[in-house]
Amino acid sequence: MISKEEVQNLAALARLELRAQEIEGLQKDISNILDYVGQLSSASVGSDGENIKVAGIVHNVLRDDVPREAADPMAGKEEKVKEAFPKREGEYNVVRKIIQKDE
Amino acid sequence: MSNLNQLSITEAAQKLQAGEITAVELARACLAEIEKKNKDLNIFLEVYDDVLAQAEAADARRKAGENHPLLGIPVAIKDNILIEGRRVSAASKMLENYVATYDATVIKKLKEAGAVFVGRTNMDEFAMGGSTENSAFGSTKNPLDPSRAPGGSSGGSAAAVSAHMALAALGTDTGGSIREPAAFCGLVGFKPTYGGVSRLGLIAMGSSLDQAGPLTRTVADAEILFNTIKGKDALDSTSIAIQGPTLAQGSQGRTLKRKIGVPRHLLKEGVEPDVLAAFEKSLEALKAKGYELVDVELPSAPLALSVYYVIMPAEVSSNLARFDGVRYGLSLKGENLIDDYAKSRAAGFGPEVRRRIMLGTYVLSAGYYDAYYGKALVAREKLTEEFRKVLGEVDAIAVPTTPCPAIKIGEKSDPLSMYLLDIFTVTANITGNPAISIPMGMVEREGIPLPVGIQLTAAHGDEATLFTIGKDVE
Repeated sequence: MISKEEVQNLAALARLELRAQEIEGLQKDISNILDYVGQLSSASVGSDGENIKVAGIVHNVLRDDVPREAADPMAGKEEKVKEAFPKREGEYNVVRKIIQKDE
Repeated sequence: MSNLNQLSITEAAQKLQAGEITAVELARACLAEIEKKNKDLNIFLEVYDDVLAQAEAADARRKAGENHPLLGIPVAIKDNILIEGRRVSAASKMLENYVATYDATVIKKLKEAGAVFVGRTNMDEFAMGGSTENSAFGSTKNPLDPSRAPGGSSGGSAAAVSAHMALAALGTDTGGSIREPAAFCGLVGFKPTYGGVSRLGLIAMGSSLDQAGPLTRTVADAEILFNTIKGKDALDSTSIAIQGPTLAQGSQGRTLKRKIGVPRHLLKEGVEPDVLAAFEKSLEALKAKGYELVDVELPSAPLALSVYYVIMPAEVSSNLARFDGVRYGLSLKGENLIDDYAKSRAAGFGPEVRRRIMLGTYVLSAGYYDAYYGKALVAREKLTEEFRKVLGEVDAIAVPTTPCPAIKIGEKSDPLSMYLLDIFTVTANITGNPAISIPMGMVEREGIPLPVGIQLTAAHGDEATLFTIGKDVE
């Protein structure tokens, strides 16, 4: 079973605050799922892994580096994007100050 | 005129065109059904207040000479598909009050065709689940047996059509989220070839797996919806053009071999006996229509669920990183910026979403990447190749869509046992093949007959074969 510390570390990496009572359940659930998907490592799928392609009929799609405003679904939607902002003051969108003085 | 809401798209389109009914009458019939049952079944998170106005506009367009099979047809939309100016929440507290800033490409196409949007349907939060129990806004009940779940994650979309609250619905399918609820609600559910339908404007879950598609009463209806929403989109670089409209004999210039592959090695255990019996009966019916049944082997298929439960959470953890409470969605204040993120995400995401983000973070973290994600990519490629080979020999591969009929609400409390419902559906998402679930009869549970589905999978881009064989299954 993965440890409590591992769960807490994962939560920190995933930017999730965990409730104390949630940790034990996650240890159990994640371990069960990892046990199940562990069949991948025992299966003979490792040796020919050098030439992995992305599945199916997917390939790179390139285009000329020119603007295409007409097709941009966000064109002219600036106001709507602003309206979605959680905190606004007058003309401004408010975000947290992230540069702080060393004390 | 009564029961207009029980018509198929095909039937309704004929009556609309003949002038026997109007889009407004159709819309009223659906709204009346919603009024009667939605409160108990919790199918729609929101019924739009302009449904009749949309229907009037459709009637006006028909008067002006337009004639598309979807013009004036009431369609329900899963709550993870963007319609400009309307709320879209992915059934999450994170986006509870979010208003879409643009139309998804599928919506743009449906608007051009003149479909009437009835409302947004309940789903598992961010499409993560197989029962709609993971919605932040309560479970949806299966209209055929309200003690049971409608399946998921497109459970609201399936229930809406099953309960005759709309003639058809759009869902999204990342590991079976259209096909499984279709099977549980007695409908046709279709997941197109990966890229066949643009993903622009879908709230992303697993970007290499997600596809939007129809939930309908008939295969012909699914075909109409698919032909309307498909197509290459400059704004989704993974989208592709699928050739050919409806063909009597397969697409891609192929002629039907009239051979159906059955991977019997996958059906030896885990499928409930009466579901298997219904499947055999449905195969026999195909045989009687001149199809040859061929035993096929897909040696890597038993790994499919493992591949899925590595790749999907990995993509989930990446895709859902965008929900940070800074630009939109739920925003809570903590001690500092990192704390703001952690608090907003903890309060905004439900338990299953958090679990999958954690799992995805694990399988992508240094030291575990090769053991899980790396292996899963190799297995994915192997499986895709095995499908390609088998589908060179047969037109389609048939399996039951699910191992059992609709589950009881609250029946599967452990995540892994819930994941096992996806055992036959995840494969098509991993390999990118198109797959359709079609009703194959009923099985009885506690005295109530419940539908089950047969799933057919075809070669990439060969949707026409699925529609052709699908009509022979019906």
